[in-house]
Amino acid sequence: MPLFYIHHTNCISPQQTFPDADLSVLHQPVNYKLQVIEPKYDGIPPGILRRMSKAVRIGAGAALPLLNKLPATDGIIIGTANAGMEDCFHFLKQIVDYEEGQLTPGNFVQSTPNAIAAQLSMISHNNGYNITHVHLGLAFENAAIDAGMMIKEQPEHNYLLGAVDDIATYNYTLNSLAGWFKKEAFTTDNLYELNTPGSLAGEAATMFLVNGNPFNAIAQLRALHTIHSTDEIIIGEQLKTFLEKHLPEGEKIDLLISGENGDSRLLKYYTTCENGLLENVMIVRFKHLCGEYPTAAAMALWLSCYILQENQIPQHLIKQQSADKAFKNILIYNNYKGAQHSFMLVSGMG
Amino acid sequence: METTELKQQLKKQIIEFLNLISVNPGDIKDDEPLFGEGLGLDSIDSIELIVLLGREYGITIQDPKEGRKILVDINTMVAYIQQHRTK
Amino acid sequence: MGVISAIGNTVAENRLALSEARCGISALTLFATKYADSRPCGEIKLSTDDLSLQLNANEPGITRTSLLALHAFEEAIRDGQLSPAQLTDADTALIGGTTVGGMCLTDELYQDAQQIESGSEYINSYDCSSVTMYLQQRYKMNGIINTINTACSSAANAIMYGARLIKAGLAKRAIVGGVDSLAKFTINGFNALHILSPEICTPFDEGRKGLNLGEGAAFIILEKEEVVGNKKLYAEITGYYNSNDAYHPSSLSDAGDGPFLAMNGALQTARLSPGSIGFINAHGTGTENNDLVESRAMLKLFNQPPPFASTKSNVGHTLGAAGAIEAVYSILNLHHQEIYPGLNCKTPISETNLKPVDRYKKISLQHVMSNSFGFGGNCTSLIFSKC
Repeated sequence: MPLFYIHHTNCISPQQTFPDADLSVLHQPVNYKLQVIEPKYDGIPPGILRRMSKAVRIGAGAALPLLNKLPATDGIIIGTANAGMEDCFHFLKQIVDYEEGQLTPGNFVQSTPNAIAAQLSMISHNNGYNITHVHLGLAFENAAIDAGMMIKEQPEHNYLLGAVDDIATYNYTLNSLAGWFKKEAFTTDNLYELNTPGSLAGEAATMFLVNGNPFNAIAQLRALHTIHSTDEIIIGEQLKTFLEKHLPEGEKIDLLISGENGDSRLLKYYTTCENGLLENVMIVRFKHLCGEYPTAAAMALWLSCYILQENQIPQHLIKQQSADKAFKNILIYNNYKGAQHSFMLVSGMG
Repeated sequence: METTELKQQLKKQIIEFLNLISVNPGDIKDDEPLFGEGLGLDSIDSIELIVLLGREYGITIQDPKEGRKILVDINTMVAYIQQHRTK
Repeated sequence: MGVISAIGNTVAENRLALSEARCGISALTLFATKYADSRPCGEIKLSTDDLSLQLNANEPGITRTSLLALHAFEEAIRDGQLSPAQLTDADTALIGGTTVGGMCLTDELYQDAQQIESGSEYINSYDCSSVTMYLQQRYKMNGIINTINTACSSAANAIMYGARLIKAGLAKRAIVGGVDSLAKFTINGFNALHILSPEICTPFDEGRKGLNLGEGAAFIILEKEEVVGNKKLYAEITGYYNSNDAYHPSSLSDAGDGPFLAMNGALQTARLSPGSIGFINAHGTGTENNDLVESRAMLKLFNQPPPFASTKSNVGHTLGAAGAIEAVYSILNLHHQEIYPGLNCKTPISETNLKPVDRYKKISLQHVMSNSFGFGGNCTSLIFSKC
């Protein structure tokens, strides 16, 4: 039994992904940041939109069309690390500027990471299960595990599963100071080739409608595994175990979607996975589309659905070619700062 | 400051403070209720407007419930400001 | 189990204080804020340096929140007699709830967020996950690790998530709980909303003036029946449910849809009738909105609500820790077959006439319900049962 079947997806990202996806044209970073292309938010009442931070806006923008497709969604499960941080910073600034005097509460109320899930439930009048996972580089994966558990208990239930992170002043500065972004000039074309530390800052909102019903599904998430480690040998060993346990007998991995992000210090994890087990497998990279952020694995899952539906892969994604023309079993390997890792096994419905 | 000018200034301040993105000063009628119907503000907005009165006009209102009696519409707000402003 | 709060540094100390109706809410003496004298809080009277010394925990970047979590975590694993092998087992999960994370260091965060050249030692410590990650690293844990932030219901949701991991076969054991420490960020945030009381809070009282913030941490160890062995058992978690009020970012709907659905859902998960609940540890923050709405929801569900009380008048509202601290207190109710008095309610709310329990009592209890209702309408109800 897979964790769940994916029926609809939406993604607001720095590329042309919303409302329709066209990855043939690659949008470049501006000031070394990949920022989302924001749509017009027709589905959000102005009175609510005015309060929304960017993370909540793009989360709602991506989620509401899906919730409108299925109003009786049984729950909203969101993973985020950074949502609300911009409002948090504005509130901190008030505390300092006004020396803890009379402060406006709007920023404070919007600064909790669960503002996305909360606003979605308010706008769509959804009283169902509502949760926000904030475990940094595995926030989305924990949200997916959660959705999988809900669906195991009630396969006929539908859940909105999603991930949002945005580039806010606070987290951009902190990550810059800690050396997680490249200090030298680069473009999307040489991001992976420079062999220097650091990646580029990114953001996106990615939403999925999932349930336990295979009929008309786009894809299925067969299995998911998370690891906390900085040892690439452990990653390699656990990948082997993961595939032995979850890849159906007689089948193979057709495609690896890799979270390689241009940070030379993290390459060893990707090389370990690529070399050992997955020789001659097609490998694609996606972080030049969306940049690096804690819940980027959701973008990889979105991309796997895109590839399974379109059955073709834009050249700029490809790291290693193979003879395969059709893709059934896709392995996603991602890590965040080399300390939190995940494997996802996604399969088509054919 | 002339009442008309103060009303205009207050409307601009409210729009900016509450981030009322699709509203222009001309859209807000002087006697239109700010809360419930009319502009449709809510309890968080009422607290924010109390802070606005403090920062821009030096007016202190301790109890949000008292505040709601003043924050009925632009007319009542302006009348209160003219009586109590310290800035 | 393990707990640290304004009324005690251990489970035993907390139990004694609850039994003796002791209040840990007072003027702030360790924490620096403009509101130290005017907004009483449930402050743990142990400085961050003392905590660090006591726990032998002085890694660079460690925060007060992580130290409080470590304190409660260590008590829990000692009490549960977990071996290092069990802690590092891939079947042992760790789920923590918090709203503040490392943002207790409000001033440092503000400085770091504006730097260009170099940051403080806390750069990687501010976010919510830093606390759970600290515990994971210190104990080299290898199971599913997660952090949840749904405001005031965070820890209750963490407990629910751990229970469901075990039910789904993804863990055999889950250490679950929550933590929050006092922070300028939350003190000023709640004050800006005009819901911080200038006096010690009076949950469910007609004249209630708001809540007092508190700090603390609690962890409980959940284990699947097959791995329990001969260990002593405190209780069973038999019911849990989460629902969203879907009304307003910071207040509950008049009818209390979210609280009602959460409580009702927990009863259904547990397959219990409302009449089976012997005691409710209420959310009971002391705000006008919560206590009235929670009362209405209790009346609607129970018709005649069982004895109930809020422990927030003992320890304050500990936000991300509340659901876990109150779970420990609910388990103590069951394990010792006793209920503790809710403090400071003199006149019940006139509309509902519901009065919390006002004295310590020995009482026969089979099932206790614990409620946590958070910002963003996030409502969670847990049911613990005698085993």
